[in-house]
Amino acid sequence: MKQMTEDQLQELAQDLNSIRDEIVADLGERDANYIRRVIRLHRALEVGGRVMMPFGFIPPVFVAATVSLGLSKIIENMEIGHNVMHGQYDWMNDPTLHSQTYEWDTACSSDSWRRTHNYEHHTYTNIIGKDRDYGYALLRLSDDEKWHPAHSLQFLSYVMLSVFFQWGVSLHELEFERVRRGEIRFRDKIPFLKDALRKGGRQAFKDYVFFPLITFPVAPIVLAGNLGANLMRNLWSSTVIFCGHFTEDAETFDEEECENESKGHWYLRQLTGSSNFTGNKFIHLLSGHLSYQVEHHIFPDLPAHRYPEVSEKVQEVCRKHGIHYNTGSFRHQYGTVVKRILKYSLPDRLRMRLESQPA
Amino acid sequence: MLARPPQTRALHWLGRQLFNRTDPASFFDPLLETVDPMLVQGQTLARVEQIIQETADTRTFVLKPAARWAGFQAGQHVNICVEINGVLRTRTFSLSSSPEFWAKQGLVTLTIKRLPGGLVTNWLHDNLRDGQVLGLGEAFGDFLLPETAQPVLFIAGGSGITPVLSHLETMAAQDFRAPVTLLYFVRTQQDIMASERLHAIERRYTALTLKIIPTDESDKPRYLKGRDLEAVPGLKARQVYLCGPMGLMELANKQLHEHGVRETDIHSTFFSTAAPALNSDLANQALGGKVQFRKSNLQASSEGDASLLEIAEASGLAPRHGCRMGICHQCSCRKTSGTVINRLTGKASGPGEESVQLCISIPHGPVTIEI
Repeated sequence: MKQMTEDQLQELAQDLNSIRDEIVADLGERDANYIRRVIRLHRALEVGGRVMMPFGFIPPVFVAATVSLGLSKIIENMEIGHNVMHGQYDWMNDPTLHSQTYEWDTACSSDSWRRTHNYEHHTYTNIIGKDRDYGYALLRLSDDEKWHPAHSLQFLSYVMLSVFFQWGVSLHELEFERVRRGEIRFRDKIPFLKDALRKGGRQAFKDYVFFPLITFPVAPIVLAGNLGANLMRNLWSSTVIFCGHFTEDAETFDEEECENESKGHWYLRQLTGSSNFTGNKFIHLLSGHLSYQVEHHIFPDLPAHRYPEVSEKVQEVCRKHGIHYNTGSFRHQYGTVVKRILKYSLPDRLRMRLESQPA
Repeated sequence: MLARPPQTRALHWLGRQLFNRTDPASFFDPLLETVDPMLVQGQTLARVEQIIQETADTRTFVLKPAARWAGFQAGQHVNICVEINGVLRTRTFSLSSSPEFWAKQGLVTLTIKRLPGGLVTNWLHDNLRDGQVLGLGEAFGDFLLPETAQPVLFIAGGSGITPVLSHLETMAAQDFRAPVTLLYFVRTQQDIMASERLHAIERRYTALTLKIIPTDESDKPRYLKGRDLEAVPGLKARQVYLCGPMGLMELANKQLHEHGVRETDIHSTFFSTAAPALNSDLANQALGGKVQFRKSNLQASSEGDASLLEIAEASGLAPRHGCRMGICHQCSCRKTSGTVINRLTGKASGPGEESVQLCISIPHGPVTIEI
């Protein structure tokens, strides 16, 4: 990580705080209208998708219904659920948009998400050993972790994780790797497992039992469409999230350097550990503005649709302090993620030999 | 009276399965409200039917509540909820019309005076128009008329007249057969709220003795005097209802006791005016205060800049929390009353009910938290 003195870090914190203050002071009707518009879009897509699905025996209708339901899940998870749970709209004082009570349309329970994501991942971002989102305790993405022969198949694990992403996220808090190593007791995880089963069961019941059953004669079509919509959401959200911290230049940190860190140091870690990708308005909406991962990580509780305007100012601050602002096209950023997964699946000696060869 | 549609357990269960919420109907609200806001299921709304200018700074808003609103008794209040610049604000007002009027016309009224510097009252005056909708809670409060006809004395001041208007309309409609006296304190003749309605009630309801007393029209302020009470026939046998500013309430209570009125015969309700906006710096403010953790039934006092989270933990509570630096919102919870200062911005919150982050909120005077 870039080395900065405490004074420089303090100045960085002040610069970023003032960007934040400016936005906070300006929050109001525009933001409320934005999130309400997105919620209306979500409801229209979900209702549309569910209503069309039984008519899916007509192939174009099947495609339209599946895409509509898939988009509705993507928008609900990414732009509404994830962002509402960060407290981005708590200031609206609307009980239906409150960070601590919102429940989203995915297998992971909101309570579990608030603990593992909002608290652990956002506080200890990219600290190896403390941020369990780094590689999801499944993938080896830096040489901080020792290579193991099982890692050579990790691209396959990555594909599986993406396909079943909602289930992976819902079981994240089980900390299976730590249970296996005997660091924590399995029975302490039973209350969590009960919760995860309840929520996951609910989601599975809805999409794979209830809606197919009430449309009985066409149940297989509805089931297939619902599976398709969930798959669409799983692949997309996994891809967006992987682009957030596992791109080529996204840095990792060790526990020692982050002990008793100042706010400035925390900001620096968020800036250098996260990565953006560019795209049009629609892409930003579908990614829940996590395409502005850098901005999201320094200001997780500012309404996400503000990140584009915040981005200009953050880039200016980065230039001023000589901090690398990690962004690129979606293709480029995702390409480096895939490369990273493949690269670290190799034993170090082989990897280094390949790396030393001119590209 | 129309009751709420029965929310059965099965419906709750299905709501959680299909929409991750206990009230499945409200899932469709964002779509329904584009058709007609009154169709919304998640909260009860009321439509503004008419707005009447009562005095220079007082208006009566005639509202038509959605059919599922459960009705009220004379003298009760309601919470109304409006969105001002993206933020939902809840405030309590007394209903100023009678239950009979609601039963016949399906309408209720709120008579609201502009509070100097008041965010919601001024917004209502400046922005609310016919046809708009606002959130309307169920009625509550025990400032109720006696069940059988007994002599009554009302002492009201300023906008404290609103629940009394509801009482008087009700008594007139029911022909409440007992002597009724109203001592109504206003600053000047121009400040009489709903003066036409009061005089109309006086004309058709002969049991009522109406006395309007301007306090600020002579050189010396003219407050409630012992003489005013002595002029009320059979004072000791009356049920007394007090509603007005703190000063009047205290004075009235003291004098009523001196005139031998029993504590149990005095009923009061009062409106606190909004706390003056706090402008000074964080450093200059006396921080700390009594914190009431309502659900845990615990009280704690704090001095200095201890956060609500620290105070709760020092009191042996373990509220859910995360980063302790205002980032993760794990500790967000409801504050039902009181003012807190945001440690990061140094700004004061509003006095009403809202969500606060415990780890960066410092009490500023008494605060009630839902933990």
